[in-house]
Amino acid sequence: MTDPVTDPLLVVDHLAISFAHPRPAVNDVSLRVGRGEVLALVGESGSGKSMTARAVLGLLPPGARASGSIRFRGEEVLGLPEAELSRFRGSRIAMVFQEPQTALNPVRTVGWQLREALRAHAPVSRAAARARAVELLSQVEIPDPEERLDHYPHQLSGGQKQRVVLALALAGEPELLLADEPTTALDVTVQAEILALLRRIRDRTGTSILLITHNMGVVAEIADRVVVLQQGDVVEEGDTRTLFAAPQYPYTRQLLASVLRLPTPDDVPAAPLRGVPEQAGTPALRFSDVHVRYGSSRRGRAFPAVNGVSLELAPGRVLGLVGESGSGKTTLGRLTAGLVPLAAGRVEVAGEDLFSVGARRRRELRRDLAFVHQDPEASLDPRMTVGASIREPLDIHGVGTPAERRARVLELLEAVRLPADVADRRPRALSGGQRQRIALARALVLRPTLLVADEPTSALDVSVQADVLALFRSLQQELGFACVFISHDLAVVHQVADEVAVLRRGEVVESGLVADVFSRPQHEYTARLLAAVPVPDPAARREPAPLVEVAS
Amino acid sequence: MRAALATPKGVAGLVLVGGIVLLGVLGPLLAPYSPTQQVPGANLVGPSAAHWLGTDDVNRDVLSRTLAGIRVDLLVVFLAVPAGAALGMLVGLVTSWWKVTDVLTQRVFDLVLAFPTLILAIALAAVIGPGTTTIVLVVVAIEVPVFGRLVRTSLRTVREMPYVEAAQVVGARPWWLLRRHVLPNSLEPLTVQLALSMSVAVFIEGAMSFLGIGVKAPDPSLGSLLKDGTRLMYDAPFLSLGPLLVVVLLVLGLLLLAQSLSEAHRD
Repeated sequence: MTDPVTDPLLVVDHLAISFAHPRPAVNDVSLRVGRGEVLALVGESGSGKSMTARAVLGLLPPGARASGSIRFRGEEVLGLPEAELSRFRGSRIAMVFQEPQTALNPVRTVGWQLREALRAHAPVSRAAARARAVELLSQVEIPDPEERLDHYPHQLSGGQKQRVVLALALAGEPELLLADEPTTALDVTVQAEILALLRRIRDRTGTSILLITHNMGVVAEIADRVVVLQQGDVVEEGDTRTLFAAPQYPYTRQLLASVLRLPTPDDVPAAPLRGVPEQAGTPALRFSDVHVRYGSSRRGRAFPAVNGVSLELAPGRVLGLVGESGSGKTTLGRLTAGLVPLAAGRVEVAGEDLFSVGARRRRELRRDLAFVHQDPEASLDPRMTVGASIREPLDIHGVGTPAERRARVLELLEAVRLPADVADRRPRALSGGQRQRIALARALVLRPTLLVADEPTSALDVSVQADVLALFRSLQQELGFACVFISHDLAVVHQVADEVAVLRRGEVVESGLVADVFSRPQHEYTARLLAAVPVPDPAARREPAPLVEVAS
Repeated sequence: MRAALATPKGVAGLVLVGGIVLLGVLGPLLAPYSPTQQVPGANLVGPSAAHWLGTDDVNRDVLSRTLAGIRVDLLVVFLAVPAGAALGMLVGLVTSWWKVTDVLTQRVFDLVLAFPTLILAIALAAVIGPGTTTIVLVVVAIEVPVFGRLVRTSLRTVREMPYVEAAQVVGARPWWLLRRHVLPNSLEPLTVQLALSMSVAVFIEGAMSFLGIGVKAPDPSLGSLLKDGTRLMYDAPFLSLGPLLVVVLLVLGLLLLAQSLSEAHRD
């Protein structure tokens, strides 16, 4: 690794990018990437981090105006015509995209895509291209590379797809890799493997990496230096260890403070033990040997999404459901809300079987049930004012007079700490965090006894997420509803839940009090999940044993 | 929708379409002659103060004929297209409720859509004879499957939106969901198609009358005026100018409206 100051590979000087909007997307960004260095560009949504990276490759959206200077090995690349840029793209600077699902061509084999990428840079024979493709796949540590060449993207797991994307980027032997949130779409255990792989690739080939991320844990795991962006400006930059140990700028401190941490084994006694559940009374929710299948069972192709789950939730308690994609956690939540059919077993809400009572009784049961969806973009009807959205459950059940309903809406806006005048606005005028507060207000308007929250904060920026979680926790304690809280993020569950159930492939592998499960995991899978969570502390950087991913 | 029409494109579209509608509606008051009146001594006269757009080979005033011709297009654009759209949406809405009717209807739509528009028009005209009614029927027949299919797709997307589920979970009945969330949100994107279909309708009228299977002589329409103009293109090129301008401006206006609506819908 060379000194980024004296011998930089990439120099960005006073970059500014603007659109028709009054506020520029990037205001004034200067940074340097040294040879063989991993530089993390950190910021929340709208900070301009992706735009900065796109500008390096001349991939700005139409209508963008860029000024300043971007030099690669001393040569200006900003404003170069397309034909000139192709000299850099792929062969000297390559990009790894966030979503492996869309970065690969679904109708071509892995081998075909690699061959195309190789031919784009130099004419190669078929045999040579094949040999090089195998080499690239082994470089990204895909098992049985020879066989994988003939596979289509849908035959690979998410982690393997991202490895192929990485192999494609490495095809032209670039000196600089731009990685835009390369692990955000992946499960936490896979994320850990990809990060370790990126680090090994850098060590082996000396490729510099400009990593764009919002996750401070990822930064701590892999970056040598960090540049923090806020609203298009660089607010702080420095060596990773120094920056994490002593952040200078208030925004950096806030960003670091809002990262949720899991307790380390040392502070187990300090972990909040929120008491044992009182066994008296009927449970708010009980699953007894629940099965859910997707697809047609007549054609014998039904896929078991939930496979024999039994769980119980006492009134006023929060149950966290954690697991990776495909674990069945979301299906369980949707089942509780009555949105997916039950294949076998019983789901009891407040002691009554949700799926065998009559339609009328079911409607009454639903009054006590609420659902908060993951996506703040789509959880509110764009045509209705916020007030009308919150009021809707009252309208559906004909609760109170119009004046009383209006009063209740204002009461809830206050409860979720939003000003009263928000009631007359439409969702599109609000931020993601505000919308999720409104979705929460709507869910609570009928004073439910059971709330199902499906990843309510996963689409939000970390600082916003911390606020919404704190709000959720205080409302839950105040109003005393029971809650099923679904999340892939163990730290989030640790923050809000009393009990936790760890799911894997539709089955519960472990359940119990959060403090117990997280500090003394009994199951090997739980332990692996916990170990994979990136720790926002570069000093605690681990060198995980190279795991061989299980093909799915 | 109101916001969409307040953009520069929206305003330009409204002005163009509105202006032509006004010309069509006020036509009889503005026109110096009746559309079929033959002016003695004025044979193929070029544009002048007396005849702004000139006269044709049987001494008729082209301006008066153009103004009258606009009315045929207004009928097709503002009656036939909405009628076809309404019928298509109704069919799409009702049949998509049950699987069997849904599959059957969509296959019938496939069948109709598989025919090129003009072939369908010629076939229909062969059966019921040329005339304004034929144009209206052809437009309706083309728009029913277009809207029937669109409304179905739109419904399916909206029905699975989280905000619909949120209402469903607290106990809203199907009718409530349909009226409060699903219908309003699925119909809005259709306004874009409505404006597009209207511009296509102008083309259909023009093409059918041009081919002689639309409006019958001596009644004028924009298409039949263009046909007359083409016939005498070398002797009196000015004949095509008026009707051509109206067609271009009307289609442009409708396309601008469609574009402003679709842009507003996208963000």
